[in-house]
Amino acid sequence: MLIREVMHPDPITISPDTPLCDAYKLMQEKGIRHLPVVENDKLVGIVTDRDLRLATSRLAKTPFDPSDKVKEIMSHPVETTSPSDPVEIATQLMRELKIGCLPVMEDQKLVGIVTSADLLDAMLRLTGVYRPSGRLDLSLSNKPGELARLATILAKRNINIHSILTYPENNNKIRVVLRISTMEIRTLAKELCNSGFEVLWPPHILCVE
Amino acid sequence: MRRIIYHPKYSNYDLGPEHPFSPLRVEMVIDLLKELNVPFNYIEPEIVSPDLLTQIHNKEYVDLVEAVSKGEEIPNYSDFGLGTADNPIVKGMAEGARYLAGGALLGAKLLIEGKANKVLQLGGGFHHAHKKLAAGFCLYNDLALAIKAMTNAGWHVAYLDIDVHHGDGVQEIFYTDDKVMTISIHESGEFLFPGTGWVYELGSGMGRSLKLNLPLEPFTEGDSYLEVINKAVEPALAYFKPDALVVQTGADAHFADPLADLMLTTHDYEKIYRRIFELADENCKGRALFTLGGGYCPRATSRIWTILYFIFNNIPLPEKLPDTWRKHWEKRLNKPFPETLHDQLPAFDPIPRKEEVVKHNKDVVQRLMDAVAPDWL
Repeated sequence: MLIREVMHPDPITISPDTPLCDAYKLMQEKGIRHLPVVENDKLVGIVTDRDLRLATSRLAKTPFDPSDKVKEIMSHPVETTSPSDPVEIATQLMRELKIGCLPVMEDQKLVGIVTSADLLDAMLRLTGVYRPSGRLDLSLSNKPGELARLATILAKRNINIHSILTYPENNNKIRVVLRISTMEIRTLAKELCNSGFEVLWPPHILCVE
Repeated sequence: MRRIIYHPKYSNYDLGPEHPFSPLRVEMVIDLLKELNVPFNYIEPEIVSPDLLTQIHNKEYVDLVEAVSKGEEIPNYSDFGLGTADNPIVKGMAEGARYLAGGALLGAKLLIEGKANKVLQLGGGFHHAHKKLAAGFCLYNDLALAIKAMTNAGWHVAYLDIDVHHGDGVQEIFYTDDKVMTISIHESGEFLFPGTGWVYELGSGMGRSLKLNLPLEPFTEGDSYLEVINKAVEPALAYFKPDALVVQTGADAHFADPLADLMLTTHDYEKIYRRIFELADENCKGRALFTLGGGYCPRATSRIWTILYFIFNNIPLPEKLPDTWRKHWEKRLNKPFPETLHDQLPAFDPIPRKEEVVKHNKDVVQRLMDAVAPDWL
């Protein structure tokens, strides 16, 4: 899944000379938390609702005035991503820098914005929960052909797979979580169990009927 | 006035000998009624046209279902959830589904015109059928069609779904509708198809706080289930004051059901059905339309729906199952049958996690009541 599939195209922007109160009002009106700052078609900074609140807080040493300009408090240079980046790379970057959004750049032009909320939506799509489905959770041996063996059993039963997620476990096993379009997940789990798969979910599956 | 609706062509909705949603289940009920010498007088519905179904479904979807059901080759059927193990393409299935939809619609009409106060439709309950997606054995949403007919007549309708799976299709179709309250009691989607039906799915726009979900813990038993009805369904109906109740009476929350993990017995079903009739009397002058639904252990499902039939008609329940019926179906299904209509108690070993299960379900009710409180003024 690429950034271009999850980003918001044509983000709302402000200029470096926008007063803080106007930026704040814009965020309130549009229900957003991040505003890229653009000057002469170039991305020059970014400002978040948190930046605004901290800068103008009465608790600050020298609070900024609502009429002060955005350029005085904005973050720059700005970390960005590109439409062709995979979502996991952008997620990694955001976690590493502990930031909540990335402007999306193409040919040095701002073409979109991706926020942590968009990445949560991406996770929903990746897990397949948005379609009516059952959840199957397995622990596979870490060797070639295991996933193929699993997929063959599903294919024989004519069961559609909405998503497959895998991640490594400690004991040289691979955890596989599938969302599949079937109501008969228990009978399927039994067959998988009888074929030597370790079924973790649905729970309490006994191999032999 | 009580009316039964049925059509022999309901059995055309047959997804194959290995498929759990088998017309045999209703055949067993009808056969049992005959052996018990109980009158079985029913009204036959007319088939609904594909055109009428576009009140609920996307036209493209209806056209495709009708085409593949006639045996036409359409390449993109899988976009609509068809051609899978759960929803195979079977010739004539659309016609069967339209007869069943016709039955639900007739039930709605009888109620609206005052020709009946209670209707039992012996079939249907396709609560997983979405606007443009077949899922979970369901093709056309008969329930939604009936509910729509009632709201078109100006009624407020409460839909109660006791099938063990979440009633996702009906909920989706009426998600923003302020004339329809949907209440689904089901095994938690964490474990089970379709994976939805969480407390926070409350409806949107005008329909806010009118879509209620009670996801129960696996191994929930009857006493906890009834408590959920009393603590959540009862106040919901008292708040909404519907003109009629539409009930999907799936029997797959039975402990022997192979597709799910709730632990109701036939005794619990008797209590639940009686409670639903009381709730209809208390809240909507007894007006109610009952459909069938899931239920995949035919030995249990047939007995549960027979109990429903008896309660519906206000006839005392028989104790024994007739030998002829038992022997006949033992032979056909190659499974031993109990001698009595009700399950023998205790039906299963004590559930070790019982206390935890009961507590979890109480929490679910509390969370739902807290969530709707600001809107239920």
